[in-house]
Amino acid sequence: MRTAPRERLDPRAKQLWRVEGAITSAFLLLPAAGATLFLSRVVEAPTYLAALPGLLWLLVAVLLVLVAPGVRWSRWRYEILETEVDLQRGVLFITRTLVPLARVQHVDTQQGPIERGMGLASVVFYTAAGPNRIPALAVQRADEVRDRIAELTRVRDEL
Amino acid sequence: MSSSAEPQRLHPVAMLLDLLRSIRGWFSVTSLPWLFVAFRDGIDLSSIGFLLVLIVVSVVASAVWGMLSWRATLYSIEGNSFRFRRGVLGRNERTIPLDHIQSVDIVQGVIQRIFNVVEVRIETAGGGGSGRGEADVSLPAVSRPVAAELQRSLAPRRGGTVAVAQPDAGVLTVEVPEAPQPVLIRRLSMGRLLLAGATSGQIGIVLPLIATFSQLFDDVLTPEFVMRFAQEQGWLPNSVAVAVLLAFGVLLLAWLIAIAGAVLAFAGFTLSREGDSLRIQRGLIERREVTIPINRIQAVQTVENIFRQPFGMVLVRMESAGYGANAGVSTTLFPLLARAEVESFLKAAAPEFAVSPPLQSLPRRALRRYVIRSALPALLLAALAVSLLVWRGLSELAIVPLSLVLLGGAYGWLRFKGVGWSVDRDHLVVRYRTLARTMAIAPRRRLQSRSFAQSPFQRRVGLATFSAQVGRGLNLEVVDMEATDAEDALYRLGPTSAPSQH
Repeated sequence: MRTAPRERLDPRAKQLWRVEGAITSAFLLLPAAGATLFLSRVVEAPTYLAALPGLLWLLVAVLLVLVAPGVRWSRWRYEILETEVDLQRGVLFITRTLVPLARVQHVDTQQGPIERGMGLASVVFYTAAGPNRIPALAVQRADEVRDRIAELTRVRDEL
Repeated sequence: MSSSAEPQRLHPVAMLLDLLRSIRGWFSVTSLPWLFVAFRDGIDLSSIGFLLVLIVVSVVASAVWGMLSWRATLYSIEGNSFRFRRGVLGRNERTIPLDHIQSVDIVQGVIQRIFNVVEVRIETAGGGGSGRGEADVSLPAVSRPVAAELQRSLAPRRGGTVAVAQPDAGVLTVEVPEAPQPVLIRRLSMGRLLLAGATSGQIGIVLPLIATFSQLFDDVLTPEFVMRFAQEQGWLPNSVAVAVLLAFGVLLLAWLIAIAGAVLAFAGFTLSREGDSLRIQRGLIERREVTIPINRIQAVQTVENIFRQPFGMVLVRMESAGYGANAGVSTTLFPLLARAEVESFLKAAAPEFAVSPPLQSLPRRALRRYVIRSALPALLLAALAVSLLVWRGLSELAIVPLSLVLLGGAYGWLRFKGVGWSVDRDHLVVRYRTLARTMAIAPRRRLQSRSFAQSPFQRRVGLATFSAQVGRGLNLEVVDMEATDAEDALYRLGPTSAPSQH
C-alpha cells in the first residue's frame, strides 16, 4: 500500500467525537435502563442477569467516549492530490478511498451545532454516487480545503 | 417550427384526464365514509338524492377546474430552455435548461390510447453546482406528432447543437438539425417473451399473494370439509394427495400470473438507437417509450436468475446517473438474451460496455470466510432453536434448524463460486451472486470512487475488500480478494494522469 495520506484532522476532533459519543450514550441509556427494569421487576430475573443490559451500556459508552475517538483520529488521514482526493479512515475496518476530482460535482463546508461551538467544520464533496466527508477541520482549514477541491474540480479532465 | 417560442397548450383531452383524476380522487376520499354511513343507517331516498346532487356538483366543479387548468397550462421552448407554466390561482413557472434534461419519455395509458394522444414525461437532473434535482415535468396529453417533435427538440444532447436563426435570401429560416433516423437494434420475439415470463422469477412475488388469498378460502373450505367431500365422492383417498394437488395448483396459478405480468410489461419490447440515445418501446396495454442518452449510462448489468441459468439466458439492465440528491435509475435494456449474444448486443447498443474479459476467481482461503459468513446467522438462530426444542423435549426436531446451518454454509459456497472480477485499462467487471448471478460492467471513467478496506481478520490472512461506487446505490464490491490484487485495482482504475508514485 502506498504511504498513507499526509494530512490529519484537527486534534479537537477527538473532543468533538467524545461529546457526540456521550450524547449517543445518553440516548442509549433509556432502552438499557428499561431492559434492566423489565428484567428485574417484570420477569424477576436474578440480579446478575438484570444487570446485564446496564453493563452492556457501560461497555458501549466507554468505547464510544473513551476508546474510539482516539483511535479514529489517529487513523483518519486525507490529502488532496492533483487528480484525486485520498482518504483513509476507520477504527477496526480501515478503509482507503480515492475520489477522482473530475467526478466531483460540488463542494460544501458544513457545521453542526457542536462543531460550531468548537470552531470546527466538515468539508463535504459530492459525486454522482453521493457525498464524501472530511470531518472536523479548523474552520479556516476547511475553507481552504473546500476552495482547493473546487478549484481542481474546475479543471475537469474527462479521462 | 420546432423551436416554438409561442407557448403551446396541451391537447384538450388533458381536460378529460384532469376530470377523471379529480373524480377518482373524490371517490377514494369520500366512498368509505359514505359506505360506513349507509351500512349504519340504511339507505333512504333523501340520502341518495343528496349524494346525487353532491356527485353532480363535484363533477361539474372538477370539469370547470379542469378547463381552467388546461387554459393555464402552457409550455414552450425558448432559446436554450424549456418553459412550463401552470396554476389556476397561483402561478407556477418552471424553466429547465435543455442541457439538464435527462430523458424524454412517452407513455400511453388506456384513455390516452382511446384519443390517440400520449403523455410526455420530462425527467431532469440538477447538474452543475445546484445539487438539488429539479422536479420532473409531465405533459399529460399531447398529440403524437407534437410529442415526436418535442422528443426531438428536447432530446438530451451533449454539445448542445442549438437551432440557429439565419437570414437567408431575405427570409428568416430556422435551421433544424435533421432528426437522426432510429436504427433498430433488437426486438423481442414472441417465443422469447413467453420464455422471459416463464423464467422471470416473479413467481416468488406472486406466490405469497396467492397464499394470502388462499387464507380466505381456508375459512370457507376447511380441511375437514374438503376431506369429507372428497371421500364421499370416492376420489382423493388421502390428505396428502389433496395437499400436493392444492400446492401444485397454487404454483401453477402463480406461474401463469407471473407470465402474464411479464407479457404485459415487455410485449413488443423494441430497442433502437437514435443518434446518441437509446429508445425503448414496450408494453401491451400501456405502451411505454423511453429515451436515454447513451452517455448517461454508468454501468450495464447482466442478471441470470436461477430459472434462467440452466438456459444460459440473461436479462440486461443499465444504470444511469443520478445527480446531487437524485437517485440514479435502473432500466431494463433487454429482457432476455442468450449469454453468448450479450457482447454483440452491447456492441450495437452501448459499445463502451461491450467487453467480456476472462474473470478471476477468489483465492481458495476466502472460501472459509464466505461459508462462515453465511452460516453464522443461521448458526446463532439454530443454537437458540435447538436449546428451545431440547428444553421442550422435542430434541428429534433439532435436525431442522441444524440443516438450516448446512444450507447457510452451502449458500456461502455458492456465493464464493459466483464471484469473479476483472480489471483492465478501461473497465471494471464484477460478478457476484445473491440468488441471481449478476455481472456488472463499468468503464473506468464512470467510477465515482474506489475503496480498499480491511478488517483485522482480513489483514491477518492478506485479504481485502475492494469496492467501486458507480452511482447512487450501485456499489460494486469484491469481498476477500487477494490484498495485493485489491490494491492494484485501487490504483489501476484511477485517472490516467495520476502520478504513478506518490
